Amino acid sequence: MDKRVVFLAVCAVVPAAVLAQTDPGVRGGAINGQPGATATRPLPLLSVIEEQPRGVLEFFQNGLSRFQDVETVNNSANVGLGPRFNMNQCSACHAQPTIGGSGAANNPQFAAIGDGVVDGATNTMPSFITAHGPTREARFPFFMSASGAPLTGSPNGGVEDLFTVSGLAGAAGCSLSQPAFAQALAANNVIYRIPTPLFGAGLVENLDDATLMANKAAQAANTLGITGTFNRNGNDGTIARFGWKAQNKSLLMFAGEAYNVEMGITNELFPNERPLPQEDQATGLPAGCMNLGGKGYPEDATNFQVTASADQAAQNAQVSSDIVMFAEFARLLAPPLPAPTTGPGGASAFVAGLALFKSVGCAACHTPTLNATQASQVTPSLSKAAVNAFSDFEIHDMGTGLADNVSQGGAGGNQFRTAPLWGAGQRIYFLHDGRTSDLLVAIRAHASSGSEANEVVENFNGLSPTQQQEILDFVRSL
Amino acid sequence: MGRCLASVALAAVALLMGAAGADEVPRNTLIVKGAWPSASDPTTPLPEGGELAAGSYQNAYFGLTLRFSSRWQPGLAGPPPSDSGAYVLAQIVPAAGPAAARPGHLLISAQDMFFTATATRSALALINYTSEHLDRSVYRIEEAPRETRLAGRSFVRFAYYAPAAAMHWQVLATEIRCHVVEFVLVSAEGARMAELLQAIDRMPQTGAAADGGVAAAGEVPLCIANYAGPDTLLEHEEPRFTESRFNSIPVRIVIDGAGRVKHIHFLRAFPDQAHAITDALRRWRFKPHLLDGRSVEVETGLVFGRGAAPVAALAPAASR
Repeated sequence: MDKRVVFLAVCAVVPAAVLAQTDPGVRGGAINGQPGATATRPLPLLSVIEEQPRGVLEFFQNGLSRFQDVETVNNSANVGLGPRFNMNQCSACHAQPTIGGSGAANNPQFAAIGDGVVDGATNTMPSFITAHGPTREARFPFFMSASGAPLTGSPNGGVEDLFTVSGLAGAAGCSLSQPAFAQALAANNVIYRIPTPLFGAGLVENLDDATLMANKAAQAANTLGITGTFNRNGNDGTIARFGWKAQNKSLLMFAGEAYNVEMGITNELFPNERPLPQEDQATGLPAGCMNLGGKGYPEDATNFQVTASADQAAQNAQVSSDIVMFAEFARLLAPPLPAPTTGPGGASAFVAGLALFKSVGCAACHTPTLNATQASQVTPSLSKAAVNAFSDFEIHDMGTGLADNVSQGGAGGNQFRTAPLWGAGQRIYFLHDGRTSDLLVAIRAHASSGSEANEVVENFNGLSPTQQQEILDFVRSL
Repeated sequence: MGRCLASVALAAVALLMGAAGADEVPRNTLIVKGAWPSASDPTTPLPEGGELAAGSYQNAYFGLTLRFSSRWQPGLAGPPPSDSGAYVLAQIVPAAGPAAARPGHLLISAQDMFFTATATRSALALINYTSEHLDRSVYRIEEAPRETRLAGRSFVRFAYYAPAAAMHWQVLATEIRCHVVEFVLVSAEGARMAELLQAIDRMPQTGAAADGGVAAAGEVPLCIANYAGPDTLLEHEEPRFTESRFNSIPVRIVIDGAGRVKHIHFLRAFPDQAHAITDALRRWRFKPHLLDGRSVEVETGLVFGRGAAPVAALAPAASR
């Protein structure tokens, strides 16, 4: 080929490529926008640092410590792992950009066999768990026949834990197989969820229903085709707000379920060992897999006897169970702060990006600020505070492209909670299943048949590449 | 005979191939639906049942046909109706071509005024609500909501602009069958409103939309808000739900000339809820509604579950 032709062709392509909008990627700089935070030291709310009330900082530190506890089958200070589990440490999965966040760049689940967390003789690494992919839990939307055919008339949706304790010290009598992941993958019957970050969760928990409903009412006649509804707690009818489908009412519920489902640790909210959904339809877990910790149930419980300490707060903090302290840690975690001047594109892109973000309709669901939390007995920073979460905490129809065919509470298989965007600048994976690290792909994935976001994505697509870039830069500044 | 056997063999192969396909969960398909729309019969037109094809959008429920040129094409299907009675009826987007020649995109939506969360009861009130709730730090009003006439019927027109995005929203809204139907054009040029007005002005209207909203007697049911009340309801029983939930269940019903419920449309209900409500509504009996001395069909709304009002507390209030 004539070299001049090649040169001209390249010249014709390169300017377009240079101008095309791209995700600037994970923002550098201060972790969570908070000077002083490190990858292993997340910051609590300001009033917690100020010890309001006295002793609250000790509870945060105690919760942070327990969040990093390595759980084992038995014979340690933290027993009760399994018999089925996804990981052995809260902070392993909630790690990015610091403890309490979402999945890290290097997936610790992939290293579980090499690290001895899982016995490689009895467990194999599922193909969807990779060294540098998203940290995941897996669910089978439907039960399967013995031959592996999905039974679409029998919805499942429960978590299929990746690993078993079989082969580990203390689990000699427990022989369990992993779920049939290969079979389920062949049947397109696996969906994934990635960890939701916990920063600012105490503020979200402390939003009164009336505040959320007033925000919804303000959007009730938008011209974007967006409606939304709330996932109401099945026990008392109030608005649930945690988890990818807003299925959990409170942080304590979130913690209790995480201990039970993700680590296999029974607790005062979920006091029984959890079989897989298909095991629970048959005979449950085998007797040889019960009470492996040797302490009886629940494996995580209130500590009636604690070590006496001259520090009253330190002594008090020992009394609560792990799930209570997990919830306290999450409740007291500071929210991420935006980087309005140091984010990608600088201050001008932040201002322009925010204006465009609102203009095209993103803010109809990703509400920048909910004002304000109810009075808090816990600590002043949770009282009457603005919540800059960029979420309405409603569930929305998100179309067939994102639908996972898993129903949780009032949420159907196509409905998801508006993911809070605070801290999105330092997130690695996006969407409920972590299918992409590219923010632009994530935005466009909001559009598919049956999605409430179709009109907003069409508006976004109507922007110039420069304007789209400003929105990407803005979101990466959060 | 040989050809017959060959056909049978081919059919068997096709069947087996189909069976193989059934061993996989269909991709991009929603199966586990949660609360979802449904209707008691497959033939009565529903608001969400319009047909969007190349060149036109037709909606038998509203009696509308909107034709569009080859510069446009059908967009993605919208979500199911909401539990507050909001519909995305159609999205029409630019056909592929130079960006400068693109006409913008059009959203056709509807709000059921029986279930609206805005407490508004007319197109003008609803669009005023929209206008009042626009973030003025983001949007500038170009045309305040005002009434106009097009194609022989009343519309509300409204326009606003987002300077940062250089986008114009031009809204035309009209009342049909106790819904507000909205046409929302988003474009880079404010002058596109004229194009939208022309398209709407040429829009054929039948049934519910015909003659400025006054359909021929009997052609479509008369819609009346809060019709089910002590003055109209002769017999009724409450649904017997099998599970406590906390969702709102908006239901549109059509009552025939003899006072029986002849059609039920659930905007959103879990299947067990729809079943229980259907069982109950089959037993309801209304006084026949008389218009000019003749009994006519009536269409009204009921809310069960969250936000339901006791039937005895409802007072009928006629509206068009």
